[in-house]
Amino acid sequence: MRLVRGLGIGALAMGLAAPFTGNPSRSQQRGLDLDSIARAIDEGTDHVSARQLAEWIRDRRPGLRVIDVRSPAEFHGDVIPTAENVPIDQLARSRFAPDQTVVLYSQEGAHAGQAWVMLRSLGVTQAVFVPGGLADWREEVLSPLLPVNGSPAERARIAALSHYFGGSPRIGGEQEGEVAGAAQTGRNLRRRGC
Amino acid sequence: MNDLLIAGGIGVAFGWALECAGLGDPPKLAGQFYLRDFTVLKVMLSAMLTAMLGVFWGGRFGMLDPGALYVPETYLLPQLVGGLVFGLGFVLSGLCPGTSCVALASGRVEGAATMLGLFAGVLLVGLAFPVIAPFYRATPHGPLTLQRLTGLPYGVVVALVTVIAVSMLAWIAKREAAR
Amino acid sequence: MRALRPYAEPHATGVCLGLVLLACFALTGQGLGASGAFASVASGIAVAVSPETAVHSAYFRSYLQDGSPWTAWLVVEVMGVLVGAAASAALAGRTRLTFVRAVRPSSSRLFAGVAGGILMGVGAALARGCTSGLALSGGALLSVGAWIFMVALFLAGFLAAPLVRRLWP
Repeated sequence: MRLVRGLGIGALAMGLAAPFTGNPSRSQQRGLDLDSIARAIDEGTDHVSARQLAEWIRDRRPGLRVIDVRSPAEFHGDVIPTAENVPIDQLARSRFAPDQTVVLYSQEGAHAGQAWVMLRSLGVTQAVFVPGGLADWREEVLSPLLPVNGSPAERARIAALSHYFGGSPRIGGEQEGEVAGAAQTGRNLRRRGC
Repeated sequence: MNDLLIAGGIGVAFGWALECAGLGDPPKLAGQFYLRDFTVLKVMLSAMLTAMLGVFWGGRFGMLDPGALYVPETYLLPQLVGGLVFGLGFVLSGLCPGTSCVALASGRVEGAATMLGLFAGVLLVGLAFPVIAPFYRATPHGPLTLQRLTGLPYGVVVALVTVIAVSMLAWIAKREAAR
Repeated sequence: MRALRPYAEPHATGVCLGLVLLACFALTGQGLGASGAFASVASGIAVAVSPETAVHSAYFRSYLQDGSPWTAWLVVEVMGVLVGAAASAALAGRTRLTFVRAVRPSSSRLFAGVAGGILMGVGAALARGCTSGLALSGGALLSVGAWIFMVALFLAGFLAAPLVRRLWP
């Protein structure tokens, strides 16, 4: 019985010590909570479409901050209206109030996505990013393809939004399909079942 | 080939351990549900605790990456119903799929009977699958873990589970000492 | 009759089992299992007996698409279980051949064994695992489904126990 008691105490010690050691994983950095990040990605709360951002800007959503994470040189070309330029390397030093909605974008979206993870690791959870970046802005907002089989009200809505930002819609032939990006788990494991 | 050698090795160790604990003996396993024999809970809880703590601390010391381990997917309804049905079968036969093999290997005909039933049950599901597929695929939640469900950090969940499991084992020990 | 070695201490054996599971995690990135082996073999039988029926069922198909169902990882593992258990029992003098008439369990017990097996086969298929694969391995990784399965399993077992008391005097 002494062995069993020893095992029990050992287990209890290892269990109770667990919360005090931080997240166990080699790939961990300070404060990187993979679980909540994964959840946000899963639920889609990590990003917004360019069209959604456009509506927020037009409706003057309170607390909205549009952040362009490109370098200052790139910032002098095409820009989303009301955007501030905070290059990635300065992002860590910026302050964001909890009630602000921070929308990150970059040229094609990749850097904005990385910036999102960075901000997440610093505890900024009120940020989102535009997955397709400026390319999406051009395609969805400035010159959107009006869906042929959409309702007239919907087409009018998209066209009005485009005009607001000085763009002009295109009349298209095909319905754009939703490209649902499959979550890459990065696991090459062949699931063998239990 | 390497894969299968590992499979065989793990299996041998698994079967050996189960037999050593006496889990190939139907009256012993069924005894758990009459609170006569607590071997099932003792072995299961100890094994789970060991593996859970091993994974956590192994990750902490950089020996393995818990994030890369495959977490079984959660399907709320099918697993709830499946568990209930499984439990009923467990108390009827006094064996589970793994221990039925242990029983057979130690010469018990009950092992063979249960294994026969297992094949039949799985075949039934396979044959009826086109009909039950919607239920089978209902309520998926992906690889949901307790920490993602509750929002608590991994370490805290490990601590809570440890405390609960050790408490259960302590209660069992006290109860047995009182006999 | 050979001397019977008593069973090993359950907690210590459980820890050994946990270490085996840990080794499995470290070596293969996944847990171990048992019911999947039964499903794999069943799929093999199904496709051998009636290929059209087997292909018609997505369940069987899933076990047929990664090489032969007879040499799946889980099947080889379960073979190992048989070998390991047989060795352990033989070395401890615990091999009890109950195929011999004198010590064979009652027919109601055998019938209950088959019935129980059918129920467990159905339950494990629905839950995508059993006590070894789902409850043990999934439980160690804190999978919600594993814990749900485990709680449901014990609940049903405890509730049904009084009804089948006759089987377990």
